[in-house]
Amino acid sequence: MTSRIWTYIEQEDGRAHPVSWELLGAALKLSRDLPDSVVECVLLGEHVEPIIDQAFSFGASRVYAIDDAVLRHYRNLPYSAGISNLIQQHQPEIFLVGATTLGRDLASSIATRVSTGLTADCTELAIDPKKILAATRPTFGGNLMATILCKTRRPQMATVRPRVLPTPQPLTEWKRGEVIRAPLGMREDDVAVKLLRFVAGEAEEEIEYADVVVAGGRGVGGAKGFALLRELADALGGVVGASRPAVDAGWITYAHQVGQTGKTIRPKLYIAAGISGAIQHRVGVAGSDFILAINSDPNAPIFHIADFGIVGDLNTVVPELTKQIRAAKAAQKHD
Amino acid sequence: MGRPIHVIVAVKQVPDTSNVRINPETGTLIREGVPAILNPYEAHALELAVQLKNTFGGRITVLTMGPAGATEALRECIEQGADRAILVSDRKFAAADTLATSYVIATAIEAIQRETPADLLLFGKQAIDGDTAQVGPGVATRLNLPLITCACAIESFDLDNRLAIVHRRVERGIEVLQTPLPALFTVEKEIAPISRAPLPNIIHAARYTPEIWSATAPVAFDMAQIGIKGSPTIVGNAHTPPLKKAGPAITAAEMGVERAIAEALTAIDKAGVLTGSKA
Amino acid sequence: MTEKLSFDAIVVGAGPAGVSAAITMASKGLHVAVIERGRFAGSKNLFGGVLYTSAIGDVLPDFAKRNPPFERPVTEQGYWLMSPDSVVRLMHKSQAYKVEPAEAYTALRAKFDAWYAEQAASFGALLIPKTNVIDLIRDAQGRVIGVQTDRPQGDVYAPVVILSEGVNNLLTQKAGLSKVDLPPNLVALSVKEVIALPQAAIEQRFGLAGAKEGVAIDIFGDATLGLPGTAFLYANKTSVSIGVGMLLAEFVQHKLRPHEVLARFKNHPVIKPYLQGGEQLEYGAHLIPEFGYDRMPKLLADGVMVAGDAAGMVDALHREGTNLAMTAGKFAGLTAVEAHKAQDFSARFLRMYRRKLNQSFVMKDLKQYRRMGDFLGESPHFMKTYVDFANDAALRYFSAHGMAKRDMEKEIVNSLWQRRSFFGVARDMMKLLRGMGA
Ligand SMILES: Cc1cc2nc3c(=O)[nH]c(=O)nc-3n(C[C@H](O)[C@H](O)[C@H](O)COP(=O)(O)OP(=O)(O)OC[C@H]3O[C@@H](n4cnc5c(N)ncnc54)[C@H](O)[C@@H]3O)c2cc1C
Ligand SMILES: Cc1cc2nc3c(=O)[nH]c(=O)nc-3n(C[C@H](O)[C@H](O)[C@H](O)COP(=O)(O)OP(=O)(O)OC[C@H]3O[C@@H](n4cnc5c(N)ncnc54)[C@H](O)[C@@H]3O)c2cc1C
Ligand SMILES: Nc1ncnc2c1ncn2[C@@H]1O[C@H](COP(=O)(O)O)[C@@H](O)[C@H]1O
Repeated sequence: MTSRIWTYIEQEDGRAHPVSWELLGAALKLSRDLPDSVVECVLLGEHVEPIIDQAFSFGASRVYAIDDAVLRHYRNLPYSAGISNLIQQHQPEIFLVGATTLGRDLASSIATRVSTGLTADCTELAIDPKKILAATRPTFGGNLMATILCKTRRPQMATVRPRVLPTPQPLTEWKRGEVIRAPLGMREDDVAVKLLRFVAGEAEEEIEYADVVVAGGRGVGGAKGFALLRELADALGGVVGASRPAVDAGWITYAHQVGQTGKTIRPKLYIAAGISGAIQHRVGVAGSDFILAINSDPNAPIFHIADFGIVGDLNTVVPELTKQIRAAKAAQKHD
Repeated sequence: MGRPIHVIVAVKQVPDTSNVRINPETGTLIREGVPAILNPYEAHALELAVQLKNTFGGRITVLTMGPAGATEALRECIEQGADRAILVSDRKFAAADTLATSYVIATAIEAIQRETPADLLLFGKQAIDGDTAQVGPGVATRLNLPLITCACAIESFDLDNRLAIVHRRVERGIEVLQTPLPALFTVEKEIAPISRAPLPNIIHAARYTPEIWSATAPVAFDMAQIGIKGSPTIVGNAHTPPLKKAGPAITAAEMGVERAIAEALTAIDKAGVLTGSKA
Repeated sequence: MTEKLSFDAIVVGAGPAGVSAAITMASKGLHVAVIERGRFAGSKNLFGGVLYTSAIGDVLPDFAKRNPPFERPVTEQGYWLMSPDSVVRLMHKSQAYKVEPAEAYTALRAKFDAWYAEQAASFGALLIPKTNVIDLIRDAQGRVIGVQTDRPQGDVYAPVVILSEGVNNLLTQKAGLSKVDLPPNLVALSVKEVIALPQAAIEQRFGLAGAKEGVAIDIFGDATLGLPGTAFLYANKTSVSIGVGMLLAEFVQHKLRPHEVLARFKNHPVIKPYLQGGEQLEYGAHLIPEFGYDRMPKLLADGVMVAGDAAGMVDALHREGTNLAMTAGKFAGLTAVEAHKAQDFSARFLRMYRRKLNQSFVMKDLKQYRRMGDFLGESPHFMKTYVDFANDAALRYFSAHGMAKRDMEKEIVNSLWQRRSFFGVARDMMKLLRGMGA
């Protein structure tokens, strides 16, 4: 029998969250280790047609879609009920959901409805020798990693945070696979919770998907020090990140926090200044292509994960770095 | 004044993970001496309950599933203003995952409601020992109640008409949701600030003994749904996360800041990570 | 609106002194509240750790049946005189120490205090944790009639208040009983670590035959860089306690950081092998009052008594404090019981407390060693000179092969005179004897 690996396509206002494609990419990899398996997507919403094509372009072989006005905005009840029905009908082996606020809310309810195990916030997915999903996640405040298995019930569910997995590229050549359209079977009157309005947050810098992140920690010493980092980030066309103590101290807002209780990032270049490199911070940056660490303490653990380290005072190193980068850019323009 | 309110708060006692230390020499966890605390989100949930009780009059019941030592967390809840505390505790509950936990909590809540129906169920957004954020949604689903996760403010609470307007924090901003009551909220810390408990509460709590419920009395739980049997997930091996291989580190003071940076930039250039974003 | 909170007696601080007072009063039927600022009794407390059962048994005769969380009985004890690279050991181990219950046990305060407070609760005393007493409440005549805490609706009343708040005796000062605001030359600062080790490793390293043997070592000399002060190394069940202490003034004057002094001590070639492979469980610092008999606070006033460290009841020379605190707490408790019988809480009646103390070892010991602190203060070289001398002498003695014994002895004595003049040594000895009360 074919094993179905399902991923959830999270969408709001007709736009898919990039984590959806990260999951799809990971599912395709898992599929190689799971004999006779197919990768399929689940999509709910109103007017979601364009996203269906996108799913095929990222390699889905089938899409299950429920398109209904009741699903205009995410609400727990209709979404979890709709997907649970699909699961009961089609019996997937694995079901992956993004660990966003929406995804966590949704996945927990679905797992309860279909009475299966759910592993939250995974940092690694693999198929073990017995063909079981091995989902690895941090425990004990991030100080330990544990591998969780769900042997007896199906589907095996897991949520994964955005940017923990690499972002795949859409295929240049793809064909539209099968689309299974299902009715929701629910009317607006059946849904008690109503969205009255949405208050958009202040437009914060998006650090999750930035190519360059310049982050500061307790060693930066204050909001003033962050101005130095901001200049460097601007020179590199990047954004500013921070460790938790810097956020807790109020030097910068929470949206900039990197790490286990902040955001996971995987920029091309990550510059860590005045950050010691505690485990809870490291898990958030492990996917970076290149890590440059600046720290006055040669024994700081951050140097263990840095591709290049400068032992020195960030107050002199960072401005000089900004200067040289600006100079290099100016020279490039002249060429 | 209208009718009094009944709020049930599900609380968990957790190890204070901010106090976890690693042995720098061996890299292993020092588990001993990690104090157990009331999960911080529930402290805020309880404050919300106390605010509502102060407004409407009524009662707060707190409930936890956990080992005998969890009475400490319950006592803390009594200090903060809870009226009744129940510890659901039995060897048979041990090693429960979130599915089994939500079954036990939901079943216990049903039993409490047979005496006094609740107008509101409050949970923490997540427990800091596991950060799973699953038990609240699981219980709402089992009890078929409206669920609002990540509640960060109450805009209005109309007990007579059984209607609340709640702010929910999501990545892009705030959803303002209306829900009928009873409902289940999981709360963010902003939901209510912690206040210092008055001394008479502390004294009352010191003398208070929480009720202890076993797996069989006063509620007969379904043995197939609790403990290891009721938990589909199992924890395989645990390990400390590996470090990736480190590159060179140079000392700015030794070679001069300018040269150190020039070398760093050469290394970045060689890695080719900035080509593309450079121009 | 709210009822006035009142008790027969209030105890401030759930350390050995306070809990002893509470047990004494509650077991005689008084309605007692013990107010403690820590999360639980003992949560913030730290000591070396040797406890003396004579004092515990005095307060709680059946203590042994109540499963006290002791670590090991002390079956071997003594002193190490440490130079930078060697040590002279003066240890005493005896089968005479092997009685049940033993005279002294090593212990950890977090566990012991929590247990001790539970015993008070078993007699009906009410423990109020996480609550800081910030002031005393007095009536129009200035008599103490209760305490004010840092909580809303936080006033508590009782005709008698026992202050057992430890060395940082702010309330004792507020009560007007002590003018001492902890000058650095009258308090010692101790830093301590608890290091976990497998039980077998501890028994092997300290030469102990199982869990029924234990050892307590006090160390002088290089541990405190030759400055006046002491260090200690105690074997617990599955951990060792190690620490150093010196007058606060010494740390300040020599610009020493306490944790660095401890780290240095832990790395001493003699000490290091005992700790090898251990995991740090606890780290903490605590003050020890060294007011001395002559500078002790007044012990009572109308409606209030002071016991334990708050009153400077520590015999630093013999690392005794808990036993003095317990005995004082008991006397304060007994006095409160009598005061209730007489319905007289005046200072005149409470003087009974002072009389009981005077007749006990508490005041006798404190009086005897009244000048010890002065001696060490005036003779700062004492530790270094004599400890180094002892080590030097030992080396010469044990390695002087092929030399006339007489010459060797002469050399040893000469080496002392080189360090200090004959009169200097004589003066030190005189002062030391006076310090010891002889
Ligand atoms: C459950 C849990 C979740 C957590 N989640 C997160 C999280 O999401 N993100 C996170 O970051 N942390 C998190 N933490 C906290 C984490 O354990 C660390 O405490 C934190 O990452 C340390 O931040 P830091 O490196 O900025 O500060 P520190 O560890 O204090 O390091 C400061 C560094 O700055 C260096 N420095 C000082 N001055 C200078 C100078 N002038 N020039 C150069 N270098 C200098 C110092 O040498 C030092 O290495 C979490 C902890 C727990 C228990
Ligand atoms: C490093 C070190 C080693 C020692 N070794 C030994 C030893 O081996 N043997 C020995 O017998 N003695 C030893 N001592 C001395 C002994 O610890 C003390 O003498 C003893 O603890 C005194 O007991 P106490 O009850 O007076 O005060 P404490 O034990 O200090 O208790 C005071 C209590 O009052 C509480 N408190 C204080 N202020 C307030 C307030 N305002 N409101 C509410 N609560 C308050 C505190 O939290 C604390 O719990 C050592 C001391 C130190 C520092
Ligand atoms: N054992 C438990 N007993 C009572 N409530 C719990 C328990 N476990 C979790 N909860 C509640 O569910 C919330 C989410 O927990 P978690 O899913 O473990 O992150 C917590 O904040 C608590 O309010």
